[in-house]
Amino acid sequence: MRGEALRGALSNVAAVAWKEAAIMRHDRAFLAMVLAQPVMMLLLFGFAIRMQPANVPWAVFDRDGTALSRRFVEDVTATGYFLAPEVVRSYAEGRARLARGQAVAFVVIPAEFRREFELGQPRVQVLLDGTDPISAARVGAFIAGVGARFDGEATPRRGAGAALELRQSFRFNPTLSDRRFYLAVLAGMLLTNFCLSVTAGGLVADREAGTWEQMLSTPTSPLELVLGKLVPYAAMSYVVLAIATLGAGIFFGVWPAGGAASWLALAVVTLPFVLVSLAVGVFVSTLARTSAQAVFLTVFFILPSMVLSGVMLPYQLMPDGVRQVGALLPLRWYQISLRRITLRGAGLDDVAIPVLALSLGFLVVLLAIRRRLKPRLD
Amino acid sequence: MSAPAIVARGLTKRFGEFTAVHDLALEVARGSIFAFLGANGSGKSTTIRMLIGLLQPSAGSVLVDGVDVIREPRRVRDRIGYMGQRVSLYAGLSLRENVEFYAGLHGLAGAELEGRWGRVRERFELGGAEGERPESLPAGIRQRAGLALAMLHQPRILFLDEPTAGVDVASRGLFWERIQEEAEAGVTVFVTTHFLEEADHCDWVCFLEAGRLVANAAPDELRRRFSTGYRVHLAPARGAAEPGWRDEVRRVLGAAGLTSETAQDGLVLRVPALGGEVFATLRRVQRELEARQGARVRIEPPAMTDVFRRILAEAAP
Amino acid sequence: MNLRRLRTLLVREARATWRDAFTMTILVSVPLAALLVFSSILSTEVKDLALGVHDACGTASSRRLVAELSARGTFSARPFATRDALDRALVDGSLSVALVIPPDFDRHLRAWRTREAAAQVEVIYDGAEAVLAANAEGFLRGLVTAAVADLAGGADARDGERAGGPRGVAVVTRALYNPELDGTRYMVAGVFGFVLSFLTTLITAVSIVNERITGTFEQLQVTPATSLEILLGKILPLGAVFAADVVLMMVAAGLLLGVWPEGNPLFFVGVSAFYVLTSLALGLIISATSATTAEAVQKTVLFSIPLVQLSGFAFPTRNMPTVVRWLAEVFPATHYIRVSRGIYLRGEGPLSLAPELCLLVAFAGVLIALALRTIGART
Repeated sequence: MRGEALRGALSNVAAVAWKEAAIMRHDRAFLAMVLAQPVMMLLLFGFAIRMQPANVPWAVFDRDGTALSRRFVEDVTATGYFLAPEVVRSYAEGRARLARGQAVAFVVIPAEFRREFELGQPRVQVLLDGTDPISAARVGAFIAGVGARFDGEATPRRGAGAALELRQSFRFNPTLSDRRFYLAVLAGMLLTNFCLSVTAGGLVADREAGTWEQMLSTPTSPLELVLGKLVPYAAMSYVVLAIATLGAGIFFGVWPAGGAASWLALAVVTLPFVLVSLAVGVFVSTLARTSAQAVFLTVFFILPSMVLSGVMLPYQLMPDGVRQVGALLPLRWYQISLRRITLRGAGLDDVAIPVLALSLGFLVVLLAIRRRLKPRLD
Repeated sequence: MSAPAIVARGLTKRFGEFTAVHDLALEVARGSIFAFLGANGSGKSTTIRMLIGLLQPSAGSVLVDGVDVIREPRRVRDRIGYMGQRVSLYAGLSLRENVEFYAGLHGLAGAELEGRWGRVRERFELGGAEGERPESLPAGIRQRAGLALAMLHQPRILFLDEPTAGVDVASRGLFWERIQEEAEAGVTVFVTTHFLEEADHCDWVCFLEAGRLVANAAPDELRRRFSTGYRVHLAPARGAAEPGWRDEVRRVLGAAGLTSETAQDGLVLRVPALGGEVFATLRRVQRELEARQGARVRIEPPAMTDVFRRILAEAAP
Repeated sequence: MNLRRLRTLLVREARATWRDAFTMTILVSVPLAALLVFSSILSTEVKDLALGVHDACGTASSRRLVAELSARGTFSARPFATRDALDRALVDGSLSVALVIPPDFDRHLRAWRTREAAAQVEVIYDGAEAVLAANAEGFLRGLVTAAVADLAGGADARDGERAGGPRGVAVVTRALYNPELDGTRYMVAGVFGFVLSFLTTLITAVSIVNERITGTFEQLQVTPATSLEILLGKILPLGAVFAADVVLMMVAAGLLLGVWPEGNPLFFVGVSAFYVLTSLALGLIISATSATTAEAVQKTVLFSIPLVQLSGFAFPTRNMPTVVRWLAEVFPATHYIRVSRGIYLRGEGPLSLAPELCLLVAFAGVLIALALRTIGART
């Protein structure tokens, strides 16, 4: 008897799924979203977006004017992050450049630089434009790094004479490339957009067109209808995942690092993420009265997802409260998994906790949908 | 006779490869009701949009009230009233606020608006709906309000795109009464509809099929050309027919060159059109039989649907 | 232009917006939420970050080094007994920074004066968290260098000799305009650009698509109202609403986040209100090419992704490759964000911002002209 009921439910789900898939095939805007968005994001995160400062404009007020002070300026320029320095003739002029945003850093080399260097106490002053704090902090660190290594020689002998040799290494991403950082979570960003957009409009559209009423008049339960809606999109999500992963791999060489185990982990962790995202889309559409409202609500769920999940900026540095709110977003857990898999070569056991968290999320949203969807029309 | 209210020549609209309207020519006389008929997708709305300057034709010319619509679409705006397929009332504003809004765009306000709106409200039986928002009004009332708005600024030409779609029979009757009143007052009415029988409310009928005009005439003229004709039913006026009644009638008809068939309780005569000759003959029949028991004459016009079925059959290649 | 007609259009738009509860909620809540969310996410400050420590030396000085590092509150040390366990924690992501102190650390530290070899410590960052690693790097290097210098100095003092001091140049840095390098101020100034570009475009696009779907737009076009009147009737009320939004956000940023503009607030509101017109015109153009609201929203979003990413809102345009930098110059948002940061953070006035302002005017002119054509165009 129970087997019978289950078979019935499954065939209902299958029937709804088939209908959804058929609609999807004919929707050109939908196909554009699946194909155009990945390309755009791939280009954006592959080429355009960098946290690492580059082309930094800076000004130098060299009061010493010796070969040694020029050496220091050259060393800073040679790091490759800076443009050619703007030489200013007064302190005020440098400050003015900072005030107009024409320089991020203003380096002041004191008149006794050479003499102090020989005494072993050389100092330079760096004024930074703190309005963009990330750039300012990093530019300051670059110049400080140059200072720490500076020994007045043309080829700095690293560590010589210092009490400490600091050996730094950046595991999993030796050049600290932002490209790898962002491309690793490309699939997460694309799937969030995709899953939420496709389901959010759908239910309201069904209601507006009257097909919802039609389907409720058949012996299908609302939850079966919802599941039927999810299945084809979940399948389609794997296509999006493949596009993102292959795109990042083929064009930018960012492949999952751990071989077969990583691919498996990727496939496994994507399922609960996709399901919970799709379900959130459905839930949003149960809240909306018109499809315009549904789309609005979706957009305003996607945006904080992108911001608070840590795909763009490290969630570890966000203040308490904000960090915890971000942990409620599916994308937080998925991006953690993606970076583990793609960059650190993690396997299935390394993503067990995110998988559990996402599955739990899916169940919670499903229950919420069930509460909202009673088998009648209001 | 004054110049026609609307003149279109060689009007064509192409959307890419698809030609929606093909080389259309029409003239609409002032003060007439002009029915523009056709199936869904035949090009009716495209044509009406070109006539009021909402859509740029691919070729051809349009004069509305003597104004070249293609060159100066804005000059005709004050002379025309338009009611689109969807009744365009703003949701969220009450009917009264909608009236003030559209009237304001035509420069109507204050006492002048009050006076005009008071009369229109009366005529369209909208008094009770004034404070309501359109989304809470029944479709029939919304439709009436739409028409009321289109004629509030007293345009010389009214363009109505499917004004009676989705309206119940009673409301449709009210609609056509008002439209006819407008025409009697000298307003030209250009109306599209897919209710073919509504053509009888009109002075002139055009029929559009796949972007081409397949008929363009007065309703009676169409009936004459595209139907089996009028069916005239003759029966004895009082009680059962005397023997020889039928022969008597046949003789009179025969003298006028008309033949008839025997029906259950009398005779049936078919004529392609109703003209003076036919009426004269029928009067003669009545006179001849007056002494005996008289005759009852009933004339059934051919159904417009039949007319159009024939038009379509003949237009088909 | 007929002022009475324009007034009629304005009154209707204002009434409809005011009565639409959903739109009003969005207009108030989204700017405030964006302000609070975005202002909190950009942080250079590293606090309580787990620092994995594998101390293979295990002497008093190595333990003191670890204690020094934890004492500042930037890092919290987590000891690892083996190098393997440390590596494992880096892979599973529970650790982002690790410090390895080699067995010979103490010996080298004592012998540094002889300059045979310096003491070595190894710092491993999780490069997968590229942004975090880069932010932590500066802090950790500073801390380790200072702590080791202290230790070495202490060792010297015990030996009764004076340290000659390590060579290298002491770089004294000071940040102007935002001495704590607090991300809030930077983001607050940018959020104006985000809200006034994205939300405005979205609301306009949807509102006009709605009018087209319900047929009211067609009805407007057959009235004597001109395209310019229809356009102004649409964007002036919305512009006023968003100008109110700007003031709301300024007050909220001031009261809740303590960020007030350095420059003239009125100048800022004026520039913002003008910029809103640009976004509204863009919304009009998007709506003209969309058949449904969902399509309009999708297009706005698709358009806004590069806008947000490339305009310098979160990622400085300077860091981008040359081609992309040129592309970013084509977005009005890029220039508005520059202006808003100039006024908000550096207190700049109209004179020093003149080139950017001119560009904004040019963009507004072009977009409004395009929007007019779109509205007037009879397809």
